[in-house]
Amino acid sequence: MSGQDNNEYDAKQIPTVQKVIAVLWPSFLTAGVATILFFAYFDPQLLMQISGYGNISRMAGYTIGFFLFWLLTSVTCVISCYFQRPCEKDKH
Amino acid sequence: MSSKKVAAEVVTDESYAKHEKIYPRQVHGLFATFRVLGIFILLGGYYIAPWLQWDGHQAILFDLPARKFYIFSLTFWPQDFIYLAVLLIIAALALFFFTALAGRLWCGYACPQTVWTEVFLWIERKVEGSRNQQIKLDKSPLTKFKFLRKALKHSLWILLSLWTGFTFVGYFTPILELGVKFVQLNLGPWETFWIFFYGFATYGNAGWMREQVCIYMCPYARFQSAMFDNDTLVISYDEARGEPRGSRKRNVASESVGLGDCVDCTLCVQVCPTGIDIRQGMQYQCIGCAACIDVCNQVMDKMGYRKNLVRYTTLNAMDGGKTKIFRPRIIIYFLLLLGITSALIYSMAIRIPLELDIIRDRNALYRETNEGLIENIYTIKVINMDLQPHQYILTVSGIEGMKVINKVPEIKVNSGEVLDFPISIQVDPVNLKKTTQKLKFDLISTTNPKLHVEESGRFIGPLIR
Repeated sequence: MSGQDNNEYDAKQIPTVQKVIAVLWPSFLTAGVATILFFAYFDPQLLMQISGYGNISRMAGYTIGFFLFWLLTSVTCVISCYFQRPCEKDKH
Repeated sequence: MSSKKVAAEVVTDESYAKHEKIYPRQVHGLFATFRVLGIFILLGGYYIAPWLQWDGHQAILFDLPARKFYIFSLTFWPQDFIYLAVLLIIAALALFFFTALAGRLWCGYACPQTVWTEVFLWIERKVEGSRNQQIKLDKSPLTKFKFLRKALKHSLWILLSLWTGFTFVGYFTPILELGVKFVQLNLGPWETFWIFFYGFATYGNAGWMREQVCIYMCPYARFQSAMFDNDTLVISYDEARGEPRGSRKRNVASESVGLGDCVDCTLCVQVCPTGIDIRQGMQYQCIGCAACIDVCNQVMDKMGYRKNLVRYTTLNAMDGGKTKIFRPRIIIYFLLLLGITSALIYSMAIRIPLELDIIRDRNALYRETNEGLIENIYTIKVINMDLQPHQYILTVSGIEGMKVINKVPEIKVNSGEVLDFPISIQVDPVNLKKTTQKLKFDLISTTNPKLHVEESGRFIGPLIR
């Protein structure tokens, strides 16, 4: 991400650890909820068979499903964090 | 704790300084004993529970590969998802209730973050020594001694973390098989992955992140102040009694030296796992662990002063008022909790471990047979959620003179299995009063007549003018 130079508020005041957590942690939680909800109704083994991707074990299905959800939700978090930065002010 | 105060504190420079390692000093006392007791019960339960057997299966097993949850004699299926949702609602309400009543009890005594951190701190103390020895060791240059201490500490942490990860996976796949596979070094790739993933999370959170988890990651820590009121138990320093603080000799009365009871020994700061000074008033970082109460009481004892300079109290009590326990907030939370819990227990008690699904053929609304009858096709799905196999009888009613053609007369379903089969229903058009008519499907077990479910379906015929 660019824009660190004209954005002193973000770069200086919030510790890196908090920024990383702000992306990875809420997305982890929502990905967990999504995984539980999704796989409570859909069996990954059946889904893969129906869609013609061959046989995978359920554990593999849950794991891959969870990480895909996490990828998706963390992308959302990254975008949210990006948009939360103050808009560029007038250049002096 | 007012939200304004919290907001103001979040923006102080101090919060954004580079993270400094906190070395909590070991503490003994009443509340420390409660916490250790909690650790033994909670972690003991966590590590032992998956090894318990019940009726020939693991007592508590969330068998993800088989899509079945066993909790002692109960078996849950994905169709029972509602129970899990209700259970989570109950957990959340219980958290609200106890927070309103007694503040951050959860954080100080029961949160996995607190509990595992305590164990990691205990290992750290066993290997590196007391708080002062740890600080000295960290400041010293890297010697062989330092390297060996650090290596030993991390090895022990990693071992405990991996064991934690193994136990975690043992809740989701049968732990006895997992143990055998582990001994034979024959674990599947996904099991191995989750053992390491959960182990890594434990090591990182309890070994490295510690109080930062509470401050930056925990959503509860951020919103718990909303559940506080003036009658909620909080840990507070008695400023009126303690100030002006200052050191003095033992058994010297505070008044004689013109000081308050606080001897400014800073032990309350040294024991704090989040590194705050309770004497500065209530702070959102305080997890309510009461370590400062324990240590201050020891000091007060040594000085010959009254205990409870730092204590559990309420804002009302501090202002000289009376603490009200039974207040609307508490009563409402309690009634909600009681209502939902009773509803859950009741619905579990009357739960019938049998499910019937009726799926209409999607290809055609209806078909006319050679004899001029109107035919509808259905797929019947029978799910036996009981632990025994059962045989069932299906009856359909709703339309006069209907013919049910079922090519599977014996509906036998093993425990935990799903049987689906097609049936066809034929009706003489003269008996059709409406285009769409309701049908009632009854499924009853011949082995146990209590297992009886009803479902409704639709019969669709030609337009009737």
